[in-house]
Amino acid sequence: MRLFPSEEALEKELQELLAHGHHLGLVSLEAPLISNLSVLENISLLRQYHQRLSRRQAEDLTREYLRIFQMEDLAGKRNPVLDENQRFCVMVLRAVMVDNPVLVLDRPFKIMPDLADARFIYDVVGKVEGRYRECLIFDYLWNEGRYAGGFSHEA
Amino acid sequence: MNTFAENIGKTAIHSVRSLQDNLSFAYRIFSRIFTPQAYNSAVRMVLINQIYFTAVQILPLFFTVAVCLGIVFIGVIGKYLMSIGLFSFFGHLLMGFVVTEIAPFVTVLLIALRSGSAINAEIAVMKVNKELQTLAIFGIDMINYLFLPRIICGIVSVVLLSCLFSIIVLASGLIYSGFFFEMTVSDYITVLMESGNFFDLLVMLVKCAVLGFFIVMIPIRYGMRATDELTSIPVAVLNGMVNVFIAIVIIEVLSLIVMSLLTRLV
Repeated sequence: MRLFPSEEALEKELQELLAHGHHLGLVSLEAPLISNLSVLENISLLRQYHQRLSRRQAEDLTREYLRIFQMEDLAGKRNPVLDENQRFCVMVLRAVMVDNPVLVLDRPFKIMPDLADARFIYDVVGKVEGRYRECLIFDYLWNEGRYAGGFSHEA
Repeated sequence: MNTFAENIGKTAIHSVRSLQDNLSFAYRIFSRIFTPQAYNSAVRMVLINQIYFTAVQILPLFFTVAVCLGIVFIGVIGKYLMSIGLFSFFGHLLMGFVVTEIAPFVTVLLIALRSGSAINAEIAVMKVNKELQTLAIFGIDMINYLFLPRIICGIVSVVLLSCLFSIIVLASGLIYSGFFFEMTVSDYITVLMESGNFFDLLVMLVKCAVLGFFIVMIPIRYGMRATDELTSIPVAVLNGMVNVFIAIVIIEVLSLIVMSLLTRLV
């Protein structure tokens, strides 16, 4: 986990990571879901594009991932109708579609402002464990208390 | 006086740079069309969806417009030619004017109004919503994934729908000619076959492809110019559509010049 004292510091670090990092699975409001694609298409897109999977292969894999969160019924829905927690889960699933990804959760509480603590975030990340190489959480220093009891902290 | 001259110079430089940008963007996209690596199942999916939205959904409106315009054009042209005693040129006018000029023009106008504006708004909204940034972050090439299928769809749609427009107009002309000019089906077909020129049809198809390319490329280009503000969307659409109409006129004029030059050479 990386906690920052200001927005500028956080964004600078994130930009550097994005510029030099490879296989980044970014979960951030700066990388929203594509609004004219369904949940299924949003998640499948990366495998179809980068690994040149057929539509059916990529969608079968996506449905399998959606089942982990019991979200199969959201497959045909689009971004605007999702609630914040569902949107976060879909973004995480999209991020783990990157080949051997470093999962980067950029200010998860900005994506889900109503969340009191990070239990939901840990739960979601735990469900996709083994499908990513490393998980980094970027957030502000003042949110440190909300992450209590989870990942090890690094100032 | 100096300020006036400076303004003219600035406008000229701006216009030339804008044209240069558009042409270099067009070249980048055109070269991708022939790159097999640009195509994958995601791109094909977008292409199929776009062809459905652009060329299939428009069919009822397109059919109605083609029938109405066909009857009007053929009625007016036929009656006028009869009144001045030049009805023998009926076929030439149908093939040389309605098929090679009116069909591409009406088709391109309908597609530009319907799909060009939609694509312009779609790209501008994606830019404002940071969805283009999403594609960049996940390493998805915008040209391959977003632009290429839309432009190929524009080319295919304008070419096919222009042909369809010509067929509908000529078919409605057959009915009209039968009723009002007492022409038999075989007379009508003979007139068309004698007036048809393969070279004209070839130029028409090339013109349709060029029009299809630009009426999609220009809205994409202007959609990309939207800023992060919502208010930039209508501005981007407005500028894009104005430039689409300018491009249509320029391509029409250029095609006429090329056609007359080639006719002289041949």
